[in-house]
Amino acid sequence: MTTAALNLIDVTKIFQKGRGKTAAVDSISLNVKQGEMVVFLGPSGCGKTTTLRMIAGFELPSSGRILIDGADMTNVPVNKRGIGFVFQNYALFPHMSVYSNVAYGLRSRKEPEGIIRQKVHNALELVGLANAGERYPNQLSGGEQQRVALARVLVMEPKLLLMDEPLSNLDAKLRIYMRTEIRRIQKKLGITCLYVTHDQSEALTMADRIVVMNRGYVEQMGSPFDIYAQPASLFVADFIGQANILRVTVDSVEQDTASVSLPSGWRHSAKMIGSSKIRSGKEAALVVRPENLHIEALPVPEGQGKSNAPFNLLKATVRAVVFMGGHIEYHLDLGTTGKGIAFMPFQSGVHVFQEGDKVQAIIDPDTSLILPSE
Amino acid sequence: MPKDRQIKAQRASVIRKDPALFLAIVTIWLSLAVFILLPLVKLLGATFIVKGSFSFANLTKIIGKPYNQRALFNSIYLAAAVSAAGTLIGYLFALSITRTSWPRPVKWLLGSITILPLISPPFTSSISLTLTLGPNGILLRALGLGNLNFYGFWGTFLSETLTYFPVAFMLLSAILSTMDTNLDDAALSLGASKGRMFRTVTLPLSMPGIANSILLLFGSSLADFATPLILGGHNFPILPTQAYLQITGLYDLKGGSSLSFLLIIPALLVFLFQRYLIGKKSYVTITGKSGARSEFSKLPRWLEITTAVVCFIISIFILYLYFIILQGSFVKVWSVDNSFTLEHFKYVFTNGKKAIFDTLKIAITSTVLGSLLSIVIGYIIQRKKFLSRRILEFSSMLNYALPGTVVGIAYILAFNEKPFLLTGTMTILVAAYIFRYYATGIRSVVASLQQIDPSLEEASASLGANSTKTLFRITVPLIIPSVLAGMRYLFIHCMTAISATIFLVSVRWTLLTTRILESMTELQFSQASAFSIVLIVLVFLADALMLSLMKLSTRKIGAVQENIYDNSGA
Repeated sequence: MTTAALNLIDVTKIFQKGRGKTAAVDSISLNVKQGEMVVFLGPSGCGKTTTLRMIAGFELPSSGRILIDGADMTNVPVNKRGIGFVFQNYALFPHMSVYSNVAYGLRSRKEPEGIIRQKVHNALELVGLANAGERYPNQLSGGEQQRVALARVLVMEPKLLLMDEPLSNLDAKLRIYMRTEIRRIQKKLGITCLYVTHDQSEALTMADRIVVMNRGYVEQMGSPFDIYAQPASLFVADFIGQANILRVTVDSVEQDTASVSLPSGWRHSAKMIGSSKIRSGKEAALVVRPENLHIEALPVPEGQGKSNAPFNLLKATVRAVVFMGGHIEYHLDLGTTGKGIAFMPFQSGVHVFQEGDKVQAIIDPDTSLILPSE
Repeated sequence: MPKDRQIKAQRASVIRKDPALFLAIVTIWLSLAVFILLPLVKLLGATFIVKGSFSFANLTKIIGKPYNQRALFNSIYLAAAVSAAGTLIGYLFALSITRTSWPRPVKWLLGSITILPLISPPFTSSISLTLTLGPNGILLRALGLGNLNFYGFWGTFLSETLTYFPVAFMLLSAILSTMDTNLDDAALSLGASKGRMFRTVTLPLSMPGIANSILLLFGSSLADFATPLILGGHNFPILPTQAYLQITGLYDLKGGSSLSFLLIIPALLVFLFQRYLIGKKSYVTITGKSGARSEFSKLPRWLEITTAVVCFIISIFILYLYFIILQGSFVKVWSVDNSFTLEHFKYVFTNGKKAIFDTLKIAITSTVLGSLLSIVIGYIIQRKKFLSRRILEFSSMLNYALPGTVVGIAYILAFNEKPFLLTGTMTILVAAYIFRYYATGIRSVVASLQQIDPSLEEASASLGANSTKTLFRITVPLIIPSVLAGMRYLFIHCMTAISATIFLVSVRWTLLTTRILESMTELQFSQASAFSIVLIVLVFLADALMLSLMKLSTRKIGAVQENIYDNSGA
């Protein structure tokens, strides 16, 4: 049996806030496998950075234990933990050259200068900055500074690589480039990595596993696919990707599906998550991703032959049409049910609805979910 | 279980956890107790203890005299006038440098002229004002104002305003130049005229700086001793000079102490109010995220013209005053025998040689020791948490807040007898200077530590460096420029201050400033001028040296602070 690279056992951090105490992190437990990339995702103030800083040793947990490679590190000072930390603002030492920055940790370890030179060279090469050694941090662009910060940490061959929103100061294009770059290096070195971000697309593209946090709690833990396709709570559904959330009434509950309806008479059935909280006659939420919400022209003109109106018909009015290139974003008014968004793939020749068009929204039972209201 | 032990060790007192810190705190507290708290307690004792018991007798006796009441009123009245006028002039100068499109050389010249009063001994403007506007003064004669009595409020006010407005200028130009230019752009793009933009954006954002400057100047004027001594005259008594005369003229230590106690109250009020202002978050934000930095919008026309006229007149007047001193030092007897002579300088370099060397020796010693102390105090105040932190910070700044006269009198009281018999020694002079003027050093160390992102130190720790290595490899190199800035201030003040040390000089240790005062009271204006010139040149050279060291130390880092902000920017 192999020991986990990192174990968090009931880790809690309580901050004194004025007179009251607030739990920034509320008993988190987590096991991270060797070589795994775990991304902490959540809105600001959800405790993800505090968790990372406790793993690093910048903060001490109020209770709970932190094990790295099976060894208890809860109260070990930062400089003895053998972790690597990449800061949001990179924290490059401005008075040292790039070379000295990268060599800093090795020199703390008192490695021979010849070996240091070789290692620094390799590290800089790995991040694609082999010739930047003599330059100073303020002579580098944001992306280059970021890569130096990465090299400075990787050169130490840490047991654990901790990254605190490392890409949030870069522009959009560079961010997308750097996240594949970081993932490439992480996989190549097989290094265990914990990564904090509030950017869900960063989390979805980089992670082996995502930990979604909210107000100090873990909302859901799982692979990017699971998190996206089967959000465990409304918070997760809303935070990851875009979601239409319809307030519905539960008509009947079967094993793992439920039938729901809207006051207008529209009915739908789909898979349930968190079934213990879903009861017939109570409210629930129907969650549909915009790409799973299709719109079509109304089959019959309104007000005629009520009897042959299709059962599964959700009427909507197009409020705005946004062309996004690959798809068209329709903003819909669903009447008393609220608002919605639908993504329709765009190909030349496809019919484009106009603002004010009356349409019907079609929801696929297989790709929609029913969640408890709260 | 090792975990329990570790937790216990964590909770152990400072002594075991960080013995170096504990040692530093104890040493600092001991020195503060001897050189700041003891003198103050002695002063309060001399004021309030009569025949072994607490009493207001000394105080009521002093306040009862109408002449002293006038002194108190005059002190506050003068300080209010000087702080208002000095801040206004300083603001106009700051605007001219940061908000006009005047050619660079003009701005450079304006900046240099304002430095002159900063590096001169406090008498300089008094001497030349006496020569120009005093009895038989050349400007009076030229303007045909033969009998104008210049001594009193107006002379003191004029001289102090010219001496202290550069302080306001430095403070306000720093604030004006760090404002976000995007705010100007935003106001103009929203349709505001330049005048409206100035009224609604620039001026409100300068208010914290203006308030701070008024307080600073109020305190300086309240404490000023040299100017009113020379220009106040008998009809315009103020507290510091009254206290001085009470002690040196009447040998009345209790009366002098009580008078200086009257000074402590407004001085401490100003100090506390200033701390409150600084404690509040400043409006000025340096985000560094604002992409390309555009230029500040220029002043509205009417304001630019006003600024130009005021700056021009004042600059010319200052240059004229310095020219008068220079001229005065080279003539036989001012306005009686105007023939050229070098005899005053010969006198300064023979008879005054001891004063020159004593002054330099004391100033250099104080600067070096004071800077080391300010690094240590600044570092532990900003970066460490311990029980007496706030009180330590407050006590360390106390002598800075008190007027020099008060400190001088308190030092005589404290160090005139065993166990701290220090009168007549160099130690007492050095201590007086250090504990009075290292405050700026502490503040600049604290300020630069605040700007150094703690993540730099965390990065060092996460790369395996221990706290000592982090301190010396990361923290200290980054604060060197601000330490030098503090040294510069300390040195200038050690060379030019007089208010505290006038009580502490002795036959063994004389200072240039006291020699200037002696020459003035003996009406040897030319000698006083020559002493002043020598002092100004010495300070100027030392200042230039310090400045180039600062440039050198920042060059390698490549403007540390900007870099730190850029890092967090896009």
